[in-house]
Amino acid sequence: MHRLFNKSRVLLSVYLAYMSEYRAELFLWALAGLLPFVMMGIWMQASAAAGDAMSMTPLDMQRYFLAVFIIRQMTVVWVIWEFEFHVVSGRLSPYLLQPLDPAWRFIAQHICDQIIRVPFAMLLVVVFFVLYPQALWMPDPLAVLQAAVLIALAFAARFLMQYSLATGCFWFERIGGMEQLLFMAYLFLSGLVAPLERFPEAVRTFALWTPFPYMVYVPAQLLTGIRTPGFHVSFMQGLLVMVGWVAVFFVINRWLWRRGLRNYSAMGA
Amino acid sequence: MVHYLRILRLFWSASLAAELEYRVQFLVASLASVMSISGAIFTFYLLFRTGGTAGVGGWDWHQAMLVLGMFTMLDGMSSTLLSPNLSRIVQHVQMGTLDFVLLKPVDSQFWVSLRTFSPWGLPNIVLGAALLVYAGWSLELRAINLVAGLGPVLLGVLVLYSLWFIVAAMSIWFVKVYNATEVLRNLLEAGRYPLAWYPLPWQFVFTFVIPVAFLTTVPAEAILGRAETSWLISGAALAVGLFLFARYFWRFALRYYTSASS
Amino acid sequence: MPGVAPLRGRAYRHYNGPVPIIIADQLSKSYRVADKAPGVVNSLRHFFHRQYKTIAAVRGVSFTIEPGEIVGFLGPNGAGKTTTLKMLTGLVNPTSGVCTVAGHRPFARKAEFLRRITLVMGQKQQLLWDLPALDSLRINAAVYDVPESDAKERIATMANMLGMSKLLHQPVRKLSLGERMKAELMAALLHHPAVLFLDEPTLGLDVNAQSAVRTFLREYNQKHQATLLLTSHYMADITALCPRVILIHEGALMYDGSLEGIRQRFAPYREVKIELANDHNGRDFSIYGEVVAAQEREVRLIVHRQNLTRSVDRLLAELEVADLTVTDPPIEDVIGRIFTHGVGEGERSDKVTA
Repeated sequence: MHRLFNKSRVLLSVYLAYMSEYRAELFLWALAGLLPFVMMGIWMQASAAAGDAMSMTPLDMQRYFLAVFIIRQMTVVWVIWEFEFHVVSGRLSPYLLQPLDPAWRFIAQHICDQIIRVPFAMLLVVVFFVLYPQALWMPDPLAVLQAAVLIALAFAARFLMQYSLATGCFWFERIGGMEQLLFMAYLFLSGLVAPLERFPEAVRTFALWTPFPYMVYVPAQLLTGIRTPGFHVSFMQGLLVMVGWVAVFFVINRWLWRRGLRNYSAMGA
Repeated sequence: MVHYLRILRLFWSASLAAELEYRVQFLVASLASVMSISGAIFTFYLLFRTGGTAGVGGWDWHQAMLVLGMFTMLDGMSSTLLSPNLSRIVQHVQMGTLDFVLLKPVDSQFWVSLRTFSPWGLPNIVLGAALLVYAGWSLELRAINLVAGLGPVLLGVLVLYSLWFIVAAMSIWFVKVYNATEVLRNLLEAGRYPLAWYPLPWQFVFTFVIPVAFLTTVPAEAILGRAETSWLISGAALAVGLFLFARYFWRFALRYYTSASS
Repeated sequence: MPGVAPLRGRAYRHYNGPVPIIIADQLSKSYRVADKAPGVVNSLRHFFHRQYKTIAAVRGVSFTIEPGEIVGFLGPNGAGKTTTLKMLTGLVNPTSGVCTVAGHRPFARKAEFLRRITLVMGQKQQLLWDLPALDSLRINAAVYDVPESDAKERIATMANMLGMSKLLHQPVRKLSLGERMKAELMAALLHHPAVLFLDEPTLGLDVNAQSAVRTFLREYNQKHQATLLLTSHYMADITALCPRVILIHEGALMYDGSLEGIRQRFAPYREVKIELANDHNGRDFSIYGEVVAAQEREVRLIVHRQNLTRSVDRLLAELEVADLTVTDPPIEDVIGRIFTHGVGEGERSDKVTA
């Protein structure tokens, strides 16, 4: 237990120093996540044009996409690129000879990335509220807590999904393209480009079986407190679905990792 | 000129040969293009559902599809040429391999801009073109309209390239900034929708700060035969100005290039 | 052991000495690689119809190494040295054959095994590029459960030996190649492994850094009775460190024994240098041996040991010789010849006597 604590302490402190070497880059990443603001513009205008036909007002849209921006920043995962780099450059080999699963290094990097990047993102949010003070709202503390739980699970699920895909590097040298497919599903089904309440019934039902809406839409709904008549996903549902998906991806991940390692060593490590 | 064309052919056939090593990648890239364009059309559908943006700023469904087609083509072009080449500038600077480029008897901007060619953007170009043709056909546009749109489209390409190049060239100072071009790419996503669909502050930003408007909206209007002359002229001025600036900027940046040691 | 023909098969079972710490028994590894001709057309063809061929990187290599030995592992590029090291460290699973290192099957990569070994690769690095080396060392200490006080002491000792004390606080990217390698060594040895595998640890280093690395490795070996198996392109590394060498060529073991024994086996010839009293005027010397150099009055010949006396006698009888010296060819040349010519001793001697 003491050793475990010591390992995580050292890993986190060193990788925090490491990531802060890249603070300019992390800041750019925070900016690269501005897509929700583009969609905010589009949907504000659309809701204004539709008037009462759309239940979400332009102000609702503004708050919704702001919440989406925050959630997105807290669930950024890039392990696949890091992993690909480690395999191609041969850095993975020395790590495999250490009595610590390399996954821990990647996890530590992501946590430290968050610690540095999220304050940047929050600064952008503050700027936004200065420009649009009427968008400011007071979220329900309990809902914020629930959203935080879902966001943490969303991060875990995204990490495990991407890490599982990343093990594809063991078979095919380049794997980045696969991530694009996964990201596409995430982009269109999670609520990043449009709130789920705008989806037709059938698509919505389908989406709710995938893990994606629970990664963005449901926590955003909890944060903003916007209720759509006739459509509501409870926190409990989100929790159960996400725990299930995380467990599934964990098992898949470990299985692929073991198989992949065997293949990697057959190819010459 | 012939010299440069010959170099270009060698560059591209070599990189094509290299890329064909990755078979799975081709399948994946095609699938990604199909998913991306279906997702985009789905988003447009959501916007037009129950009133939404229908007809706002005078863009009906098929007219909006022109903008989307244009965007998809430009996006494909970015992944074919801009992204693979210009993101490599950072690498060149970091590893000091820009030295080799600078020592070649070929224009260095030409070299770093067109060195490689990645076929994985082609599915997007094809799908985007198909969407353009479909929208044009539905709008009963004549072929002459599409040709009239060609000029503004090329200007849009020039704007996109120059912007991208300027951002990439900044890596001469900020070596560790790998992702500056990715930021640009994400902001260009705004070009997926007609400019008129944004609230005024957004429109201002997308015209004067990041000139996304000139990439897709203006060419689409030219195809529809309703582009205002002032827009076309300022678009042309912007394209030429940005391109000249990009060339100047590259030479300027090279003055600060300190070839990486070891 | 020196000079003995390579161990065959399961010979080590009949061996009565101390228990070897590294046992390789008929190790083999083959890879499947895509077979492709250059050009776009061939690329397209390759895109649709893929052909593969199997390459045997290592073919039935057997040897044993005792605790505390330093063994040089030699062979030209692509001979299979790195693959063998990867099999012995457990990165690669042998296609056939068995190896045991420190009583473990490497490929299981058990934590107890990993704590006892290390692999240093000249071309690959584990240090975090943008941080001071000390940070990477701290991670390694935690990863290998080295108590903090011990780690501090070990780092201080090693830094002292390598002259790195002041450099550990600089980002790795600011270090020179030699300094970086020294830091890599520190990271690799922080957990005091008993078996060290070193793949080109001095690659690209200047002479001073090379000799510092050598001294450091020898001291580590003496202090901890550690076993070292290293590959290097620099013969100076081998002659300075390794009483025993293993030669591998095209994946197969060629020689296992003392460094001096190589000369006996593969270089049964001498260099004869003669100084003539007069210019030789284009005379043909090849009847005496293989001509290496022929200047106006100085001629250097390579002569097989068996023919040495006869050749020298003839030279002295037929020419006006002012001076004559017979020397052993340098070991670098001998090994270089084996690898570049890829020849065994038979061919070599034929050529010389012919």
